Amino acid sequence: MTGVREMRAVARYEFRMQIRKRSLWITIVLLAGLLAAARSGMGPRYASAPPGAPAREVMTRWAFLLSVLLPLAFGMALADRLVRDRRLHTTELLESLPLGSAGRLTGKYLGSVAASSSPILLALLAASGFEAVHRGSPAMVGWGVVAFGAILVPALVFVSGYALVCPLVLTAPLFRVLFVGYWFWGNLIVPAAMPTLTGSLLTPIGSYAASWLVGSPVLYAGVAGPLSFLRPAPTAVSGAASIALLILAGLLPLLAAGVVQARRSMN
Amino acid sequence: MNPVKRRTHYSGVEIWRHEAGRLGWAACGAPVLAVLVAAVLAALAAGNGAPRPQVSLALVTGLEALLPLAVAMAAASVVATNRARELHLSLPTRYATVLRRRLVLLAGVTSAVAVAFSAVIWAAGLWSETPVTTSPLVWAAPAAWLASLAIFATLLSRSLLLSTSVTAGVWLAHQIFVTAFAAHDWARPLYLFPVSRLGTYPGWTIDRLLLAATIAPLAAGAVVLLHRPEWMLTEEDA
Repeated sequence: MTGVREMRAVARYEFRMQIRKRSLWITIVLLAGLLAAARSGMGPRYASAPPGAPAREVMTRWAFLLSVLLPLAFGMALADRLVRDRRLHTTELLESLPLGSAGRLTGKYLGSVAASSSPILLALLAASGFEAVHRGSPAMVGWGVVAFGAILVPALVFVSGYALVCPLVLTAPLFRVLFVGYWFWGNLIVPAAMPTLTGSLLTPIGSYAASWLVGSPVLYAGVAGPLSFLRPAPTAVSGAASIALLILAGLLPLLAAGVVQARRSMN
Repeated sequence: MNPVKRRTHYSGVEIWRHEAGRLGWAACGAPVLAVLVAAVLAALAAGNGAPRPQVSLALVTGLEALLPLAVAMAAASVVATNRARELHLSLPTRYATVLRRRLVLLAGVTSAVAVAFSAVIWAAGLWSETPVTTSPLVWAAPAAWLASLAIFATLLSRSLLLSTSVTAGVWLAHQIFVTAFAAHDWARPLYLFPVSRLGTYPGWTIDRLLLAATIAPLAAGAVVLLHRPEWMLTEEDA
């Protein structure tokens, strides 16, 4: 149990470091505010739910709107978390601690993901609070949490794995460039324009989960394109499969990094 | 005992070589990476049976949209990450001068990559949207605009996270709000990617020059902040 306790300590420390980062809060507030303000000009895909719409649809639309931009800031925030140890020359010091590299990596992952996703959760809760008052339905808050779990959490888990590990190979600036390009290419470009993963189960913007919650296809979910086996019709089952696949795919780079780090420390 | 001779003068070549080293391979490699990604996407499209205009569009998108994004992110990193800033402020050479040299080098690498990539597209017979002589207007205006925004945001916020997120957000907003920019006469000159997203239209070259003119306030803000380098000392850990 000692390892678990130390891992929790690493997670707690990482959480405290990240949650106190003023720029993280300013960035999320700026981008969420920009999305809320520009929503009416973004077309029907991102528009507010009509009056009388059920709380589930209202909050799913909010979560989907936030998932357009906020995972970008989330990825930017995480891009330097592991590189930082190397830059500050604290890697060797940390390796001398009793906690192994896998535990340290898990702790850092959990702490930084929890901290960086907190402002996003609060942004969605603020939107649900607004809708609860505006539409007179307290159920908005509950559906806000559900929409966060179904749409934003898989996206954030997916992004976090790559944002933490890829900069170790690519460097943080190159990762940031590729990440923004990927986000547009892999989420927003229609597959008819060029080969892309948009509209597939592995689209982190959450079109399958949103389709499941709303009850109709959202943003190209299931549209014809490459890797057709990843493009089933949007249903409850495919929505759940998308969530599971995104989480698993997000954990893959972390597992790879854990294996590499463990081998390196053994040599 | 022979006194150790200390060099007090360095040639221009030595200084620029040193600054190139300080700029780092990641910053220099960002423009190359952007055009390589565009080339890979174009090859994928071609392999998927896409018609020539679509392949051409993928390449021009690399030049007009991906390259400026890469340069802006690299510029933000150059300004934000300096591990010896305090030490630098104690030296006779102004910090602004050093940053200016590094940004000039980044601009030089970007220009070389963009010109070479334009020439390759043209030689392959895939340059179709505009006369090839106007190719610098395709990439230079959005690259300079986004890089100026990134530099200004980095100097103002002292945070790499904030500046890169804002730059990425603006870039993505220009991709998402393409119809909104096209619908308003006043907004069209401010649009960063007209050639790849709107197609060339009469007066697009003038719009590019107008876009270039809007760099002035961002650049002026950056210059003002650069002359107060002590402002950068209290930034968050980049």
